[in-house]
Amino acid sequence: MTPAQFEKQIEPRWQKLEKLLKEAEKSHPSAEVEELPATFRQVCHDLSVAQHRMSPQRLTQQLNALAIRSYRVLERHSAGGWEAFVRLFLVEFPQAVRAEWKLFWWCTALFYLPAALIAVITPSYPEWAMTLLGPDGMMQIESMYGEASKPSDYVRESFGSGFAAFCFYIWNNVSIDFRTFAGGILGGVGALFVLLFNSIYLGAVFGYVHYSGNPLTLYTWVVAHGAPELTGVVISAMAGMRVGWSVLRPGRMERRTALVLAGRKALPLLVGAAVLTSIAAVLEGFWSPMDLPPVIKFTAGGMCWLLVAMFLMFSGRRQKDAT
Amino acid sequence: MAVTRADTLQSVELADGVEIQLRVAGPAVRSMAYMIDLLIRIGVDILVAILAFMLLPDLVGMEMTNGLFLLFVFFMEWFYNVFFEAGAKGSTPGQRSMKLRVMSVTGGPVSLAQAVMRNFLRVVDFMPGLYLTGIVCMLFTKRFQRLGDLVANTVVTYAEVPIFMAPHVEIRAERRAPSKVLTREEQAALLQFLERAPLWADERRIELATLAHPLTEAAGVEGLRRLCGMALWLQDPEDKSGTPPSLKGAGMFRS
Repeated sequence: MTPAQFEKQIEPRWQKLEKLLKEAEKSHPSAEVEELPATFRQVCHDLSVAQHRMSPQRLTQQLNALAIRSYRVLERHSAGGWEAFVRLFLVEFPQAVRAEWKLFWWCTALFYLPAALIAVITPSYPEWAMTLLGPDGMMQIESMYGEASKPSDYVRESFGSGFAAFCFYIWNNVSIDFRTFAGGILGGVGALFVLLFNSIYLGAVFGYVHYSGNPLTLYTWVVAHGAPELTGVVISAMAGMRVGWSVLRPGRMERRTALVLAGRKALPLLVGAAVLTSIAAVLEGFWSPMDLPPVIKFTAGGMCWLLVAMFLMFSGRRQKDAT
Repeated sequence: MAVTRADTLQSVELADGVEIQLRVAGPAVRSMAYMIDLLIRIGVDILVAILAFMLLPDLVGMEMTNGLFLLFVFFMEWFYNVFFEAGAKGSTPGQRSMKLRVMSVTGGPVSLAQAVMRNFLRVVDFMPGLYLTGIVCMLFTKRFQRLGDLVANTVVTYAEVPIFMAPHVEIRAERRAPSKVLTREEQAALLQFLERAPLWADERRIELATLAHPLTEAAGVEGLRRLCGMALWLQDPEDKSGTPPSLKGAGMFRS
């Protein structure tokens, strides 16, 4: 068969494919598109033959472009909408945390231990914490948790309303989660740095309030939203470390492959951390500023911690493992 | 095919067993697309800010407006690219204007998860400024992938492989069998030469044909004529239409 004959022979097929593609790219395609996969395979075959026979570039390029276009149409993902998102958070996220429980406890320890250490030593040696907080930080703490001040007043003054505060926390804190995760790819260094920095800063705030402020105000303020917020910080760092670890120790896989797989494992963690942080923003914007007796605050706060712990431990256990 | 070594074509084998070729895009054109997207984003941010702060404060109050605007900025910052790349077109307006498209390395469209991965990691690719990390990373990977692309397993390709239309040109050279046995790659090179020769100036044709001196054993116009003759022979060894009379010099190519 001469190249010209070959070209003539395959032409109806790719013209049919082109027509079907146009049809399939419409929002309501006719039933005709059922023939698309079979036609696609025929044209793929023609492309292979054309490549092998070194048909003119014009022909191979045209078939190549058609093959790419059809593959895109055939492999089109449907994101799954809200249902998939809810499943990702309720099932895959706790599963992912449990699957990486060692990493979770490492990150938890790296976050809470330095914080506790700084918080404990600050009342006796306040200089470190004061240097870290700086004059602005100290003033803010005084105005929130000082002897005669209430954090709700401070928040009302700086944001005006609970909703505005909520928006600010989403913009600021969820962005930090995302950045912490991204920093993780540098061998985990970025995520680790953010984790430790937040830990030390948190410890300094707690220590400093014990030193010069009113600890009860602080604890009633943070106890509820702290549960999802701090867990979110730990888990976003965990997601980053997951990716960073695959760079450092790809194991038996090629580094490139290990990185891709780690990214897939880190995604539910990242989404979970972002949702937890958003929940924290809701609590911090609307619940924490309420003036309620400490008993109620602590009961509700305790419930929050319990809820987060139970959620991570038990949610999605009976569902089939997504990974 | 022999061409893969000298250009940015990347062969990908689809699940259906056929090899397709993607033309991956380099840092320069991607930077352009990014700049366009950046300008669009800034423009939209400013526009929304003006509209929001003109209309909303009377309705919902100043604090509420501030808050809503922060939320908007948050979504624009993190989800502008995700939204467009995971969408049906697979490209942001900036990428579309540069005729680029984000694709999975497997040749398929990107999933939402991949779009999130590749765009959230921009933070690191940007470091220490002006996407330096990303650009260096692109130069060290054969598919021009930045860190985000590596983790998400994506590539940025030209959306349309430009289809090269050879003008219909009658080539007046005498068919002749090559003097040596040619490999598949060599045959392909010869056929492509014949396809593209009409597009070049005479000097360039002769210059390139002279490179094939070991095959043609002639230089200059004679070499070119012999080379074209061999390519014609490869196209169709048996000549049915009757050889047009071979002409001298540049008269070989007649459209």
